[in-house]
Amino acid sequence: MDNMLEMYLYETNTLMEQLDELLIEAEKNEAFTTNDVNEIFRIMHTIKGSSAMMEFSTLMEIAHHIEDLFFYIRENGMDSLDESHKSDLFNLMFQSTDALRVEVEKIENDEPLSTNIDQIITNINSFLEKISSSGNSSSDAQTEKADASSAAPVADAQAIAVINQELAGCPASSMPYFIRIHFEQGSGMENLRAFMTITALKEIDLQFEHYPEDVETNSETSEAIIDHGFYIALSSADDVEKAVQIIKMQNSIETYEVIENATVKAAEASSPAPAAAPAPSAAPADTAAAPAADTASAASPAKQAAPAASASHNSAPVKQSLISVNLSKLDSLVAIVGEIVITESMVTSSPDLQNLKLDNFMKSARQLRKLTDDLQDIAMSLRMVPLSGTFQKMNRIVRDMKKKLNKDVRLTLVGENTEVDKTVVDSIGDPIMHIVRNSMDHGVETTAEERIAAGKDPQAEIILSAAHTGSEVIISISDDGQGMDPEKILAKAERNGILTKPASDYSKKEILSLLMLPGFSTNEEVTEFSGRGVGMDVVKKNVEAVGGTISITSELGKGSCTTLKIPLTMAITDGMEVSVGNSMFTIPIANIRQSFKPQKEEVILDASGNEIIKCLDAFYPIIRIHELYNIETEVTNIEDGILIWVETADKSYCLFVDELLGEQQVVVKPLSSFLSNFNIKNSGIGGCTILGDGNISLILDIGNLYAATQGLY
Amino acid sequence: MSADTAVNTANEVMENGTPVSTERFLTFSSDGLNIGVSTNYVIEIITNHTITMVPLVPDYVKGIINLRGQIIPIIDIRLRMGKPSIEYTSSTCIIVLNINAISIGIIVDAVQQVMDIDQSKISPVPVENQQELINGMISSSDRSVILFLDCEQLVQSY
Repeated sequence: MDNMLEMYLYETNTLMEQLDELLIEAEKNEAFTTNDVNEIFRIMHTIKGSSAMMEFSTLMEIAHHIEDLFFYIRENGMDSLDESHKSDLFNLMFQSTDALRVEVEKIENDEPLSTNIDQIITNINSFLEKISSSGNSSSDAQTEKADASSAAPVADAQAIAVINQELAGCPASSMPYFIRIHFEQGSGMENLRAFMTITALKEIDLQFEHYPEDVETNSETSEAIIDHGFYIALSSADDVEKAVQIIKMQNSIETYEVIENATVKAAEASSPAPAAAPAPSAAPADTAAAPAADTASAASPAKQAAPAASASHNSAPVKQSLISVNLSKLDSLVAIVGEIVITESMVTSSPDLQNLKLDNFMKSARQLRKLTDDLQDIAMSLRMVPLSGTFQKMNRIVRDMKKKLNKDVRLTLVGENTEVDKTVVDSIGDPIMHIVRNSMDHGVETTAEERIAAGKDPQAEIILSAAHTGSEVIISISDDGQGMDPEKILAKAERNGILTKPASDYSKKEILSLLMLPGFSTNEEVTEFSGRGVGMDVVKKNVEAVGGTISITSELGKGSCTTLKIPLTMAITDGMEVSVGNSMFTIPIANIRQSFKPQKEEVILDASGNEIIKCLDAFYPIIRIHELYNIETEVTNIEDGILIWVETADKSYCLFVDELLGEQQVVVKPLSSFLSNFNIKNSGIGGCTILGDGNISLILDIGNLYAATQGLY
Repeated sequence: MSADTAVNTANEVMENGTPVSTERFLTFSSDGLNIGVSTNYVIEIITNHTITMVPLVPDYVKGIINLRGQIIPIIDIRLRMGKPSIEYTSSTCIIVLNINAISIGIIVDAVQQVMDIDQSKISPVPVENQQELINGMISSSDRSVILFLDCEQLVQSY
């Protein structure tokens, strides 16, 4: 039962997310396409069915009524609704999906479902009544209009279409629709493949003709099929749709397109005579007469066919082979893979093997190394999910706030397919939402007039972007609103008593980081969306919990940008093993720029006796690990050891160590929480790892290590 | 330590007819003191482990060890109680404890025995603050005094 419930919740939530995306998209275009309507119908039908099975009658009722509504819209077309109805419809749909979501949440939290859903159902029903009464009268008018508008340009368009159809090599037929199928290149026996398609179509009782006709018996038709494609001629649009469904399921079909038979149309339009008189002879003459028109219009059939094909692709869900797996199983898989990686190097670098010449063993060991590397990559990628889910949710937030605050804002998503670790995605959803809300509420100007006065596009824009940079994901939320006034922030901070030094000493960067201190909210009034005093400090905490950093930049009058830098995953990293005395340390490879043997003359002392060295025309401080950590070592002369030039986001310096031991992939293990009592993180130790021989190596945190030295000097 | 003694001691107490709330304690010696720790906390006793030092921590934190893939911090109970350290000998061992889900190892001079102790007979430490880490004491059958280690305090943050 639990399993079924889990499946149900998973499925319903996925459908709801799809629905939300679809609604947002449709609202932008101000109409539902036929596909949208079909899709919503399908989603509601599924929710209704599965809810009924699970005996969640509330959900079933709501879904059922929405389904009814969309059944009507599907039958009568979106055009039967006038403008005011459309916006009502969108609002109604958002209300209903919210109602559904509330109920689903109740199921998740094991609360009883609400029994009073009359309100929403009445809403849906009254809307349905409204559109069905007005729909009848308006639809007539509409069809008339459509007839009138199509009559005039039709002649020209058809002439061109005839030409194109000839070019495409369509066979002459009285059927109004063709489907042209191309099989995958080099698949062989095209005629038999065509025959299989025919058989499949016959199974669903379709009336159709096909060209070439003798595919079953004549294997020479293969060539014709390769050159021109295989044609299926159908008598109605409904049949075409059915056939497309079947064709999609066939193997080795590379492309297919739906072509309207222009000759038939032309014949219908030009003369009332039955369509038995196509004009194959007239067409070539046209082609010759208008070679210019030919090239100009050559693109149009492709365009025409393309949307048809892509639209039909959308209507049926793309068959994805996905399974949902419990996250804890993935976690243990990743943990085991991590142990395998360690054990692998434990075996291959076993001290027992030293000084032995084992060619075959080394060969197999290398093979094993490669496989474990692959395994590890795959294991890590399993936990990676695209950010699009999180990003899409922002669409809805922007939409709702847009209505409430009466601001015209467009949300642009960039790089939403960027993949990050699942846990990271889960924990940055709220921070992003908070920042987007802040941008909507405080960032964007209150009225369009203000924007126009400032010489900006009346429609504000919020850009949500994500990108990979090596080991980090950078997510930025920027708006082109009014920006933040450092003076105001400073004054407010002073009033709230959170300044730690004289106000005049604050740089702009410092002022902006005041925003992220607890107890700071720039908006004077508390609104529904933001300004409750729990603000950016919570965001900062959440981001830091996953090892990320956050920074704000703002230009008064031009807008603000909040940037989150989040590490991809921390579980396994490449590290350089170094030794200092008897201790071993791991420096993350990502932090290392270069390592080199220094000459005594190259080292310069500053006024307080700190060592400095020049690398590539810039000076960097030298930090001796043995001094910082009080480790006894014989290597104290700068020429005996080795310098490792490291850098993090904003710091760059050289570490002095005894020697390099080699590069290794390490599984990062957290140090015991007992040791956190001693603030071990701040002394530059980020964690530890177990080496191949079972020894422990401490992983250096290059950023904190530098801070630790500053504390000492 | 000898497992036989431990079991015998336990049985003796049982035969004396005290089914009242007894708790099993592992006793060890450190700087001449007999100290007991509840077996509820004890995971295992290990010897001869290489300790990896951790920088910039108090001197009683000796470092961390790798116990079958688990990282466990080690503290020297002598140093923790402000006593002078001694060279580790063959009888020196590490008692691995799990206190409120935190694993920690303590270095002791020697492990003695496991015994059942009637909790009602444990008396509080008379002088406050003099012996931190100790939350009770009892005089055992052979007239020696056993102090009880306050495990919670051992892992508390400072």
